[in-house]
Amino acid sequence: MKALQGLGGWTLDGVQRWGRATLFLSHALIGIPKIIGRFNLVVKQIYAVGVLTLVIIVVSGLFVGMVLGLQGYNTLVDFGAESSLGLVVALSLTRELGPVLTALLFAGRAGSALTAEIGLMKATEQLAAMEMMAVDPIDRVVAPRFLAGFLSMPLLAALFTTVGVWGGHLVGVGVLGVDSGQYWSAMQDGVDVYDDVLNGVVKSVVFGFVVTWIAVFEGYDATPTSEGVSRATTRTVVNASLAVLGLDFVLTSLMFD
Amino acid sequence: MDNLIEMRHVQFAYGQRRIYDNLNVSIPRGKVSVIMGPSGCGKSTLLNFIGGRVKPDVGEIIVDGIDVAKLNRQRLYKLRKSMGMMFQNSALLTDLSVFENVAFPIREHTELDEKLIRHLVLFKLQMVGLRGARDLKPAELSGGMARRVALARAIALDPMLVMYDEPFTGLDPISKGVIVKLIREIGDALGMTSLVVTHDVEEGLSIADQVFLLGDGEVVGQGTRAEMHASEFPYVKQFINGAPDGPVAYHYPAPDYRADLMNGEDS
Amino acid sequence: MKRSAVELWVGLFVVAGLASLGVLAFKVGNLSSSDIRDAYKVTARFDNIGGLSVKAPVTLAGVRIGRVSDIRIDSEDYRAIVELSIRPDFDNLPLDTSAAILTQGLLGAQYVGVEPGGEEEYLKDGDEIELTQSAVVLEQMLGQFLYGQAGGSE
Repeated sequence: MKALQGLGGWTLDGVQRWGRATLFLSHALIGIPKIIGRFNLVVKQIYAVGVLTLVIIVVSGLFVGMVLGLQGYNTLVDFGAESSLGLVVALSLTRELGPVLTALLFAGRAGSALTAEIGLMKATEQLAAMEMMAVDPIDRVVAPRFLAGFLSMPLLAALFTTVGVWGGHLVGVGVLGVDSGQYWSAMQDGVDVYDDVLNGVVKSVVFGFVVTWIAVFEGYDATPTSEGVSRATTRTVVNASLAVLGLDFVLTSLMFD
Repeated sequence: MDNLIEMRHVQFAYGQRRIYDNLNVSIPRGKVSVIMGPSGCGKSTLLNFIGGRVKPDVGEIIVDGIDVAKLNRQRLYKLRKSMGMMFQNSALLTDLSVFENVAFPIREHTELDEKLIRHLVLFKLQMVGLRGARDLKPAELSGGMARRVALARAIALDPMLVMYDEPFTGLDPISKGVIVKLIREIGDALGMTSLVVTHDVEEGLSIADQVFLLGDGEVVGQGTRAEMHASEFPYVKQFINGAPDGPVAYHYPAPDYRADLMNGEDS
Repeated sequence: MKRSAVELWVGLFVVAGLASLGVLAFKVGNLSSSDIRDAYKVTARFDNIGGLSVKAPVTLAGVRIGRVSDIRIDSEDYRAIVELSIRPDFDNLPLDTSAAILTQGLLGAQYVGVEPGGEEEYLKDGDEIELTQSAVVLEQMLGQFLYGQAGGSE
C-alpha cells in the first residue's frame, strides 16, 4: 500500500514537473520577441553558449572523423570498396553522429553551465531581486539564453560534421592512400542535400531546442541551495542526453524510412 | 495617522507549517519601521507579501491604498517600480559591474540617455560612498560594500518604500555602523518609508521610529524604541535582552530527561 | 573593449557555422550539381528494374547527367515506371533516346544508362522514353545459361 502510494506521488510529481516545464517554456517563448530589440543580450549569450563550446566540438569532430576514416577503410577495403570511404564518413556524420554527438557535448558543456548559472542566480536571490525590480527574470535571463542555445546548436553541429569529414579525409587520403577525388565524388554522389544534410540540420535544431529547454528549466526550477544547484546540473546532463538519444530514434525513423 | 502599508488579518502557512495566524501591522509613511523576531518566524515572508511575490492564504496586504494580493501581473510590476529592496545576500547581478548594477533598474524602466543615467548612478554611489568602486565586479566587493551597492540599487528609481531584509547579518561592526547610518539617512534625507526586517536587537532598535516584535504567528509587541525598552511583557523582555530561557523555552519539547535516559537502558 | 572582443568571437563563430553549412550543402552534398530543382523529368517503363533504387545515377556515355527520382508500378500493365531527373544542361537528348538498367561492375550498384538516338526533336519535361532495356538479373541469366548448356549437350 505504501509502495503504491509512493508510486502515485512520484507520478504526480513527474506530471507536475512536466506542467511547470511547459508553462515555463511558453513563458520563455513569449519573452523572446521582447529581447529581439536588445540583441546584445543574445550576442553575449551566444558567446557563452556557442563560442565557449567551440573548442570541444572542433576537437571531438576531428577525432570522430579520423576514427570513422580508419574504421571505415578497414571494413571497406575487404570488399574492395575503399573508394566509397568518403560516402561512409559523410553519411554517418551528416545523418547521425554530427547532430547527436554535438548535442551530447553541448548538453555537457553548455547545458550544464546554463543550469548552474541560472541555478546560482536563483540561489543568490538574483532572480528574486530582478522580480522585485519589476524585471521579469524569464524575459531578461532565460529568454536570451534560450534563443542563444537554439541558434548555436545547428551551427555547432555543422562545424562538427564539416571538421569530421575533413578528419576522415586526413586519415583516408593522407594516411591510407584513398584517392582524394574518389573520396569527394563518392560523397557527392551519395549524400543528398535534402534527405541527408537538411535532415541532419533539422535534427540539430530539434536537439538544440530540447537541450536548451531542459538546461534553463532545470536551472530555474532548482532548489536554491548549492546542493540543489549541483543536483540540477547533473539532472540536466542526464535528462538532456536521454532526450537527445530518444528523440534521435524517433526522428530517424520518421526521416529515413 | 497616515499608513503606507496595512496588513489585516493575515493568515499564511507553508504546507503544514503555520507562519501567521492573525497578523495585523500598520507601517507609517515616511518613518523607519523595524520588524524583529526570532529566526524562522517568517519575517522575510512579510517582505515577500508586500512585494507581491507571495500571497497570503487569508487577509489583505494594502500598500499605498492597493491590495497587493489582488493585483494582476502588469499592475503588480508597476507597483514594484515604486519599491526598492535590499536582499540579505545583496543579490547583485554577478556578471555586471557595480555601476551597471545600480544602472540596471534605470536602464530597464526608463529611456534616459547615457549622460543622465551616469549622473543618477554616480549620485547614488556617492551617497553610499562607493563612487570610486564603480568599475569593480560584485565578486571583488566585501560583504559590507556589496550591501551598500545593493542599497544604491534599491533606491536607484527613488522609490516610496525601501525594504531591508536582514541588513546587518554577517557584517563587521564598522560595516554595520555604515548601514545603520545609511538607513537613517535615506529615511530622513530622501523621505522614503523604510521597512527593516532583522533579528539584531541593538542595531534594529537604534534606527527604529517604530518597532514590531513578531512571535508565534502574530505581533506580540509594538511601539517606539523607548516603549520597547520599558516593556513589561515577558516575551518582549526576553527578546530585547537576549535571555536564553523564558517564554521561548530553552529546551525543544521533549519527554522527561530522567525517563528518557532510563528508556535507553531497556533496548 | 571587452564587449567588442565578445562580438568579434560571436561573429567569427556565426560565420564559421554558416560556412560549414555551405560546405555541407555544396561540397559534401550535391547541391552544386543543381540536378534537383531545375531538373526536367522523363519517365521510362521497364519489365524489370532489378535492384535499381531511387537516387541511383543516370549516365550518358558514362557521365552522370541526373538521377532516378521515383520508382512506381503501372497498375495496368504491371511494368515499372522509373522517373529520371535530368540536369537542365543536358536538354538535347533526342526523342528516340533509349534507356537501359546497367550494373557497375559484376556485383556493383545498378544505374540507368541512356543512349541518344537520331531524332531531330528533343525530350522535354514529362516525356517518356520508349526504348528501354530491363535489368539483367543474374539468377535468370545463370538459369538460361545452364538450361542452354544442358540443351546443347543433348
